[in-house]
Amino acid sequence: MKRKKVLRIIAILGVAGLLIGGGIGIYMFNMPQRDVQSTKTDYSFSSSQLVKEYLNDKDAADQKYLASDGDSKILEVTGVVNKITEDFNGQKVVFLKDKQDLAGVSASFTSETESTLQGITVGEPVTIKGVIRSGAAYDEDLGFYLNVVLEKSAVI
Amino acid sequence: MKKSILLLIAAALFISAAGFGQSSSKLISTKTQIKFFSTTPAEDIEAHNTASVSAIDKSSGEVVFSVPMQGFEFEKSLMQKHFNSDKFLDTKAFPDAKLKAKITNLESIDFGTDGSYPATVKGELTIKEKTNSISESGTVTVKGNTVKVGSKFDVTLADYGILFKKGKPASNIAKTVEVTVQAEYQ
Repeated sequence: MKRKKVLRIIAILGVAGLLIGGGIGIYMFNMPQRDVQSTKTDYSFSSSQLVKEYLNDKDAADQKYLASDGDSKILEVTGVVNKITEDFNGQKVVFLKDKQDLAGVSASFTSETESTLQGITVGEPVTIKGVIRSGAAYDEDLGFYLNVVLEKSAVI
Repeated sequence: MKKSILLLIAAALFISAAGFGQSSSKLISTKTQIKFFSTTPAEDIEAHNTASVSAIDKSSGEVVFSVPMQGFEFEKSLMQKHFNSDKFLDTKAFPDAKLKAKITNLESIDFGTDGSYPATVKGELTIKEKTNSISESGTVTVKGNTVKVGSKFDVTLADYGILFKKGKPASNIAKTVEVTVQAEYQ
């Protein structure tokens, strides 16, 4: 009688464990992407400052801003709008660059954040929040400077 | 004396003109899309990257793509984390991949006339600082002032030191992935 009870408890615990474990597994597998805009900003600066930091020492900047799981630092960058274009997915891309800088910051928006671009014009300063994907550097093979890339951006 | 100065100026002008000539033969693209697709019985995995930058030199036929690896977007967060992690692409340590190639049939592509031209390229692909030679085909489409390039090819992950030992990603990611590239140049 006692043994039966113990076995039953073990069985219940086992099933509960499986359910919880499976639930966590399914949750992990289907976990949505991080919402960049509702996540706290890690660093704020001007596009010039960020570009200079990268051109000064790209490896050190990569260490500081890139995360090994791809959830890299969230930046707020202020700069002058140089141009606004569209990528192959129809998403808006805002390019920030100060005239005297060798490179700028290219920030791509999403369909959810596109509306924040209303009223933004070329030549005007703006502050954009986004996740960094890669830094600025001179590329010898291309023969020009690569820009800092931000994604999932919005004007704040 | 005067003559030599004149000659020097003429030479300087010639050199700078040649320099300008070279830069104007270069087409640049920041509007790119690189897609990779992996299919196994377990699942299909697709990722997109629109952050790459490319250049084509019309006179030498040189083609370069610089690909920021953290720019690959997956549908599922966990896939993206696996992709970036030090077990796979290690994108923090190796943030960029690069394609350096040369169009081998440059003479049959007229960048000045609208049309669609089949192209073959030969060169090197570097991922995770491992370089392999590649030989692929694609299409160059000229329309007015824009040039579009498209290509589809396979990449064997083990060639770039991307090895799957055990666990879920090993059974869910194909050993060879299909890469589709398109770029629009100005």
